[in-house]
Amino acid sequence: MYKTVTRRIAMAITGAGFALAATMGTAQAEYPEKPITMVIPLGAGGSHDLNARVITSIIPQYLNQAMIVRLTPGASGQKGTQEVANSKADGYTLLFTHNYIDMLQQHVENLPYDPLKDFVPVARVNYAPIGIVVRADSPYQTYDDLIAAAKADPGGIQMAHSGNWGALFVPAAQIMKASGTQFNLVPYKGGGPAMQALLSGDADITMGFPSTLGAQVDAGKIRILATAGNERMIDDVPSFAELGIGGDVGFMHRVVLAPADTPADVLATLNEAFTQLMEDKTFKRMMGRLNETIDLIDGPGYQVMREQQTVDYKALVESLTQ
Amino acid sequence: MLEQFITGFGMALRVDTFALMAAGLFGGMLVGALPGFTTLMAMAILLPISFFLDPVVGIPFLLGVYKGGIFGGSIPAILVSMPGTGAAVATSVDGFALTKKGQSRKALDMALFSSVFGDTTSDIFTIFMIFPIAYLVMQFGPPELFAVLLMSLVIIAVTSGTDPVKSLMMMCVGLWLSFIGTDPLGGVERFTFGLFDLKSGIPLLPMLIGVFAIPEIAGAAMRHQQVRQLATLVGERLSLAEFKRCFRTIVRSTVIGTSIGIIPGLGQVVAAMMGYSAAKNASDHPETFGEGELEGVAAAEAANNAVNGPTLVPLLTLGIPGDNVTAILLGAFVAQGLRPGPELFDQQGATVFAILIAMVFANLMFLVIGYLSIPFFSRLVMIKTSVLIPIVIMFAFAGAYVFRSDPVDLLMLVGFGIFGILARIGKFDVMPMVMGFILGPPMEYAFGQTVAMGNDNTIGFLFSERFGALGILMATPIIGYLLWRRMQTTVPG
Repeated sequence: MYKTVTRRIAMAITGAGFALAATMGTAQAEYPEKPITMVIPLGAGGSHDLNARVITSIIPQYLNQAMIVRLTPGASGQKGTQEVANSKADGYTLLFTHNYIDMLQQHVENLPYDPLKDFVPVARVNYAPIGIVVRADSPYQTYDDLIAAAKADPGGIQMAHSGNWGALFVPAAQIMKASGTQFNLVPYKGGGPAMQALLSGDADITMGFPSTLGAQVDAGKIRILATAGNERMIDDVPSFAELGIGGDVGFMHRVVLAPADTPADVLATLNEAFTQLMEDKTFKRMMGRLNETIDLIDGPGYQVMREQQTVDYKALVESLTQ
Repeated sequence: MLEQFITGFGMALRVDTFALMAAGLFGGMLVGALPGFTTLMAMAILLPISFFLDPVVGIPFLLGVYKGGIFGGSIPAILVSMPGTGAAVATSVDGFALTKKGQSRKALDMALFSSVFGDTTSDIFTIFMIFPIAYLVMQFGPPELFAVLLMSLVIIAVTSGTDPVKSLMMMCVGLWLSFIGTDPLGGVERFTFGLFDLKSGIPLLPMLIGVFAIPEIAGAAMRHQQVRQLATLVGERLSLAEFKRCFRTIVRSTVIGTSIGIIPGLGQVVAAMMGYSAAKNASDHPETFGEGELEGVAAAEAANNAVNGPTLVPLLTLGIPGDNVTAILLGAFVAQGLRPGPELFDQQGATVFAILIAMVFANLMFLVIGYLSIPFFSRLVMIKTSVLIPIVIMFAFAGAYVFRSDPVDLLMLVGFGIFGILARIGKFDVMPMVMGFILGPPMEYAFGQTVAMGNDNTIGFLFSERFGALGILMATPIIGYLLWRRMQTTVPG
């Protein structure tokens, strides 16, 4: 036990050493020869941030290089995405994003990049079903209470989300569409601040993922009214399908993307590293502590899903904005 | 609770905790002193190491890097007028003026002592008041944040420099500069003129180095025939009498910094500026501020470090990180199996107290490490000007570049450098501009959120539901006017 810990520390220090060394020297070698930056186009403390901290702490063992998280929030995720779209396609700048930023936004705004043309998927790391969250002292005991209240007072219920057309906004929009109601959608700088707004009473409802909800639920601060998917995630909490919200609603896929022209051998190296990462015991244990799934889909596999998503989201946005 | 506290105290007294904390402090100080390398970058790179250490060792290690880094940032701010972060801007004003007077050692000592005092006091306050603070944090939403930011900007405008009108003009320039790029709420491009490089906005670091360091470099280069060195002496160490003279200011700044730390989303920049403004306003001789006033250094440093304690509270009590630094700490906590949140204290109370107590020890240890290393740093200004200036220029450009690794930032550096020189010739103070630039985006975001919360009836929303924010907003012009009148009567001309 003591030996493994020492070894891991040594590895981590080596990783940090690589990071420092690479900022100074520029010797040519095989990819990766310097630390890889993983840009997250979202704010601090959200579930992407946590997932990335775990990934980047373990993947250096398989890449022999440090992987550094860079949080670049702004403009609903476009800032960070754009940064990666315009970075060199050399595998040293990756994007850790989700399906809404990746495939939905193009139907809402004119983006400075074309997600399908400018990016190629490296891996889908996992997915997270969303839950509808209220405070423990909220008058809404069930999903039906919430919808009844929203119908009685259109726009009167404050819903905290993490940015327009983001991971919390889209499921809310889909629920609004499915139930014919209207919430007042208030943006916050990420999932953490949105949860704080719920707890402080500034917001009436928000959305959240298991990884950020565990501590709050156990402490009796919040209540989950429904979770996404066909199956129940929590025994006495209904799934979206039971409530008549069917289809691919409320699933966030956490994906790693690279600029489109990234060389095939670089992608292969990354793919290999992610495959090994998913089997790593420490990785599994840490993701388990975060209540996160591990469900790898390789680049080509996820590309098929992306192409379907763009069609679905286009239909959603058109039906909402008409 | 008391039992947990005592157990925690015992847990913190470990040799490896102290050893790694010392390493973190020293490493953080070196990284913080290098322009362009931020404390946040150092913490992110070192985070994985903490994953494999005991919580009572790994988390104090990261906290050491953080605390060392914050102080490290004030070293170039004082010695060569090159603030690496917004938090060090207020320090550089009087700190560099002291260096030019040949008292760099005194300025660094003062920065160290007031930092440690501010930090330690706020940490101890946080340990004992953690639950009341957690309650207060919840009282601040976007409307209150907006009101406090607006009031801070008004206070900065009327108290900095000697001419409030010029300060206000510069602040508007800063606010406008902060609008350039993609609008944070709606994603609309503003003032980019179709230039791709402006889409992500103007970066902070090239601006800071440009407007603060470049004019000083130019000034020193023009004076070179008279002065062989930036300063001929490093001067004496800080005397006890001088520390005592500034003690009131340090205490005032500590209170201001701690209060600002409670409000989520404000942070060190506001604290340092408010501490500095308050000290200048309370002083019998405000005209000495900016000319090398030890109190100025003390006010800024005590305030920006006093923020540290309370900013940990939302993380520890709710599991919600308020900024990037606390988000990294959250990662460290989670990877240790400590799940920050409402139950953390019940389940892991002793460990949490151990970490908080280790923070206090880290401050005391830093006093020793800093005191021993200051003579070494302060000798930097003894280098011949003809050698020092090229070195400083190199660090200015390297620092501006490594921040984002974008060559455009070098153009920005030069542009802001020229702007800084022109502003100096026209006797415009660049500080309000920098503050407008730093505080504009969070203020705009909070305003947008307030409008969204009010369902298109912002005024009605404030009047019916947000009395706190309304009160701050209504008090702002009155406070601004009173401060302005006071500055007019105490500052001649």
